[in-house]
Amino acid sequence: MPVVDVNPDELRDLTGHDEKSDDELIDDMFGLGLEFEGRTEDGDLQLEFAPDRLDRLSVEGVARSLRYQYGDDRGVYVPGTNDADWTIAVDESVPDERPYVTGAVIRDVSLDEDALDSLIQLQEKLHATMGRKRAKGAIGIHDLTMLKGEAAAVEGQSAAGNSITYRGVDPDGDRFVPLDADAEMTPADVLDSHPTGETYADLVAEYDRYPAIYDDIGLFSFPPVINGRRTEVSTDSRDLFVELTGTDQWTIDRMCNIICYALDARGAKVEAVEVEYPDRTLVRPDFEVREKTVTHDRIESLLGIDLSAERVVDLLERSGLDADPEEVGDDEVAYTVEVPPYRVDVLHPLDVVDDVGRAYGFNDLEPRYPDVGTVGGRHDRSKLEDAAREVLVGLGFEDLLNFHMISEPENFDRMRISRPEGSDADLDHVVTGAAEPATILEPYSEDYTMLRTWALPSLMMVLENNTHRGYPQDLAEIGLAARVDDAENTGVAERRTVAGVLARHDASYEDAKARLQAITRNFDADLETPATDHPSFIDGRAAAVVIDGEDVGVIGEIHPEVLVEHDLELPVAAFEFRLDALA
Amino acid sequence: MKLPESQAAVLRAASADESRSIERLADETGHKPETVTGTVFELEDEGLVAVKESIEETVTLTDEAREYLDSDLPEVDLYETALDAGADADPVEMGRVIGQSGLEGPAVDIALSNYARKGYGVIESGEITADPDADPESDAEAGALADLDAGEAVADEAVLDQLDRRELIERDESTVRTVTLTDAGVTALMEGVETAETVGQLTPEMLTSGEWRDVEFAEYNVEADAQRVDGGKTHILRQTANRVKDTLVGMGFEEMEGPHVDAEFWINDCLFMPQDHPARTHWDQFALETPREIDELPEELVERVRDAHRNGVGEDGEGYHSPWTEEVAKGVDLRGHTTSLSMRYLSGNEVGDLEPPQRFFSVEKVYRNDTLDPTHLLEFFQIEGWVMAEDLSVRDLMGTFEEFYAQFGITDIEFKPHYNPYTEPSFELFGTHPTTGEMVEIGNSGMFREEVLEPLGVDCDVMAWGLALERLLMLMYGFEDIRDVHGTLADLELLRETEVLH
Repeated sequence: MPVVDVNPDELRDLTGHDEKSDDELIDDMFGLGLEFEGRTEDGDLQLEFAPDRLDRLSVEGVARSLRYQYGDDRGVYVPGTNDADWTIAVDESVPDERPYVTGAVIRDVSLDEDALDSLIQLQEKLHATMGRKRAKGAIGIHDLTMLKGEAAAVEGQSAAGNSITYRGVDPDGDRFVPLDADAEMTPADVLDSHPTGETYADLVAEYDRYPAIYDDIGLFSFPPVINGRRTEVSTDSRDLFVELTGTDQWTIDRMCNIICYALDARGAKVEAVEVEYPDRTLVRPDFEVREKTVTHDRIESLLGIDLSAERVVDLLERSGLDADPEEVGDDEVAYTVEVPPYRVDVLHPLDVVDDVGRAYGFNDLEPRYPDVGTVGGRHDRSKLEDAAREVLVGLGFEDLLNFHMISEPENFDRMRISRPEGSDADLDHVVTGAAEPATILEPYSEDYTMLRTWALPSLMMVLENNTHRGYPQDLAEIGLAARVDDAENTGVAERRTVAGVLARHDASYEDAKARLQAITRNFDADLETPATDHPSFIDGRAAAVVIDGEDVGVIGEIHPEVLVEHDLELPVAAFEFRLDALA
Repeated sequence: MKLPESQAAVLRAASADESRSIERLADETGHKPETVTGTVFELEDEGLVAVKESIEETVTLTDEAREYLDSDLPEVDLYETALDAGADADPVEMGRVIGQSGLEGPAVDIALSNYARKGYGVIESGEITADPDADPESDAEAGALADLDAGEAVADEAVLDQLDRRELIERDESTVRTVTLTDAGVTALMEGVETAETVGQLTPEMLTSGEWRDVEFAEYNVEADAQRVDGGKTHILRQTANRVKDTLVGMGFEEMEGPHVDAEFWINDCLFMPQDHPARTHWDQFALETPREIDELPEELVERVRDAHRNGVGEDGEGYHSPWTEEVAKGVDLRGHTTSLSMRYLSGNEVGDLEPPQRFFSVEKVYRNDTLDPTHLLEFFQIEGWVMAEDLSVRDLMGTFEEFYAQFGITDIEFKPHYNPYTEPSFELFGTHPTTGEMVEIGNSGMFREEVLEPLGVDCDVMAWGLALERLLMLMYGFEDIRDVHGTLADLELLRETEVLH
């Protein structure tokens, strides 16, 4: 979940509530769903929140929400914009993988150190969330006074006076001085040797041409990787050029809106920019107010309370929305709710109802048990599993619960069986456990690379880890085993398996067989144990478990090599078979 | 007559003419007095002996009294020193006499308090006089101590009381039993008494032959610890899961079942999670290498889900501005939550189309690529539940949770508004820990979004929630490291010794 650092002094300034103590602010923010996590070294408040209200990724957005909560502001606010003076021309050479651009000009900013820090943080947090680590959208903010755009205007490509161009550049094409560097570099050099370049190189690695933004002087930004040093923003900057590139126009337009709202909150003036694609021209930022229609009934039924229309409108306005109640039928009232352009989380009218609930206070609602009658019950599989487990426990087995993920050596090699390949994949029918495993693409560690094909290896590992504990150790587990099976829709056959081990100084085949007999007898199943060969067991002391005529597992005395491999100094008798054989 | 060995021995040792004490019978038979006492009563029941009981006082000397046997009583010492100092003529300064007497510590007080009482002299204003006529040689208390030590009785009650007050003796009353043979006993002896044998183990033969009537069972040390037996026990996490299952079944929920390895479609796409959602990367969920993708997805449902992602649901609904491909949806993962089962059931693909009202649950494993630490496992159990009905409200959701968690002692549930891509409104649930009283997060919940329900063909409300079973286990048992319990690093001793909860 995102964490945002907020300077409490700035928060007091921006909300206009100098009288609020830090603790009061923390309480008020908890009401918005921002949870206080601690303080930074500089004394800023660290606040964690769910990633829906991305407009709260900086102090300006948090302050705006608080002013609505306090009742200082009501309804939708849209900043006024000045007409465009600048154009972003989109050249045909722009890489197909990253075709979209947007932007805005910001005039008369006054950035002190805190405000500049906040702007940089907002940029980074937007990159991390909506921008999907800059892959979907990346923001570049430039000192406007350092840009020269007149030449383009002279060529008459645009009605506006000044222009910059978004285009593609050869990796070894034009050179520029990136941020935090002293020398001119080509884009390829940046990816190769600049620290920031190395971090984001993967984003453009597959591109034939790299994205680049030019003004009259030349290349000044290499999105989504790094800006040029020439246009670096400082506390002296008065006018800014904000540009965003990405893989989706809507996404970068919303990111742009959130930046514009933050700077507007600090008294700056937003100025439109024209984005000139070969086939169309857009005027940005896009401050369109969207509308969602929701009925009064839906609000009442979802919250489970009665509300007057005035109250609903009041709650919506306190959420920064506007609403008009309207009769839409027999006694039915619906609201056309206006949603401001920074609210990226509102997709459906239901999201507006959530705002009403938050403004009302969900914790003020009285819980009630739903008056709905249904009949409960257990699944047959889980009933069978519990019944079998009860029999095992009655026979004195300690019931265990192991991970379904395991490593290949544990599942195969240490049990003296090999992982079958291709045509061997059916070997499982002869040698329990020898099945093709479902493997994990990017495992957490080498201990958990696949799903176990049988459960005995897990029990052997428990014995191995408990040699310092008292014997006898009679352990059993009923759990999942899985194997690749093309006949299954998911490609994996999942089954429950019953495994038991008897570790004691005189453990014998007879002990295991006696218990297996007891289990099958309890389920009125017919048991036969014809001799078989299984590498995990001693030759001549292993048998197939055949229940009601079907070969479903194996029983025997564990092979000494397997025992020594697991650091065991006493014999182990064991069995494993499919649970569904008892059904 | 055949009697057990101890009864036969006691009978032979008893006399018809003389009352014999238990101690004496014990001496003669070689049995412990306790054994003889029990045997005597058995014989009395059979009419072979008569038992007489009397209360007897025993007087024993304390350690302090034994010291005085070797030396003199402190007041006698004091008197003799006083005489030597000439206190029979004139009063002498007390400090000097005490110094010369060699009395120290508590002995000084003992000497002074008994000196005057016995008339050895007067102690006044720090001076001591000695009565020349006193006769410590015939001190009654010293004499009584000597007599008691010699085993003779002391008849003078006043002296005994005095010694008792001085804590020089301890007086105890005990029941003394004496035994005489009855006529029947004498007859039995004359007719001959045989000794029955002592046996260690009751055998089937003894029972069938009736021999058990004539044998005596060797005594065991019944207080000694026996060899340890551990027995079997259902795993405590299973027990906890079953408690949850019982509770939910009791509340009208039916259990779901489904694949652990499943298509992303059921795990994520049906849940309206955009395909470029950060939680869908391999860092959060385990994608499989083999197999790579599911064979088939329900075609119409795929189209409806795709449409919800692209265009949203309803007249003014909006979709995500994220890519959506069936290829991604078909990829198979280890499920990161059991909400995939809820999607399968709600879609009608598992148990047919569902008409409201319905309640379903599962307590099954899920898999997350999280950091392995004392409170996080790569595999854990998720409690999943949902209710489908017309016009459900947030209040119904709250009421259901209060009812459920109350069964586990967790009260004062708080609902923190939250965000999930698949529910709106959404709540994180917090509750009060049953023993420590602190606020702990206990689950995540909400009302399924229209974008989830409409593609599934559900046109009423569904509220749902999820909770880690391990969190409930840790709350109930107070475990600190979940790895001691779940997985191959489990500690058998811990599993064997964990207290049974009920």
